[in-house]
Amino acid sequence: MLDKISLFQVAHSLARHSGTRQAIVAQNIANADTPGYTARDVAPFSTALPDKDASFGMVATRGAHLSGQRDQSDMQVIEARSRSSEPNENTVSLQEEMLFAVEAKRQHSKALAIYKSGLRILRTSINDK
Amino acid sequence: MNDFSNALDVSVSGLKAQAQRLRHLSENIANADTPGYRRKTISFEAEFQNGSDIGRVETGRVRLDPADLEKVYDPSHPMADESGHFQGSNVNLLIEIADAREAQRSYEANLKMFEQSRQMSADLMSLLQK
Repeated sequence: MLDKISLFQVAHSLARHSGTRQAIVAQNIANADTPGYTARDVAPFSTALPDKDASFGMVATRGAHLSGQRDQSDMQVIEARSRSSEPNENTVSLQEEMLFAVEAKRQHSKALAIYKSGLRILRTSINDK
Repeated sequence: MNDFSNALDVSVSGLKAQAQRLRHLSENIANADTPGYRRKTISFEAEFQNGSDIGRVETGRVRLDPADLEKVYDPSHPMADESGHFQGSNVNLLIEIADAREAQRSYEANLKMFEQSRQMSADLMSLLQK
């Protein structure tokens, strides 16, 4: 029900994006000493965002209407942009991964805060104390 | 949610691998003066499940360092040969300590990621409260 509201939809995909990113960063850090491992990253949120036209514009009022929504069931995992590699051909930099982890954490908190605030507005509107 | 449990799983595999590495390092350091001891090394490998890379890390088999053993001159040593030399270990304490530092650093990084993943899923769960 709630995912019909575009605010919740965007918050949902932001939270999912940051969750995936967190998992990828954890993977990179676990493999920080694995020879030959290439660091990975997730495609930026702007590309994973549900289609702007679909979520904010067109409304389907009949079954025959097309929603035009992009399927974004899974985030795209990409190879991280080229970084200097260690002698064992490992391209993970712990410092950078820490930065990405903090980014993911902040993004996640932001998404949850938006979601919570949306819920609060909904509650207020139905006068639920 | 799946992402978080996956992240926790991967972080734990990293912790295990680093702990294993540290164990072999301390074995090496403890045996630095054992005659004929060869230092043990382990390699880190990406773990595969059903042919696909699942992001976890695992330790490979233990190998012995084939470097030459140190020749120590001490005619009074019970294991000394005619020339007064005996074979020591090929452990270099400096290398072991540096390696231990690196293992510790990676261990801490994994621990931090574990803590953060846990925190993020706890935040998610707190949405259900109230």
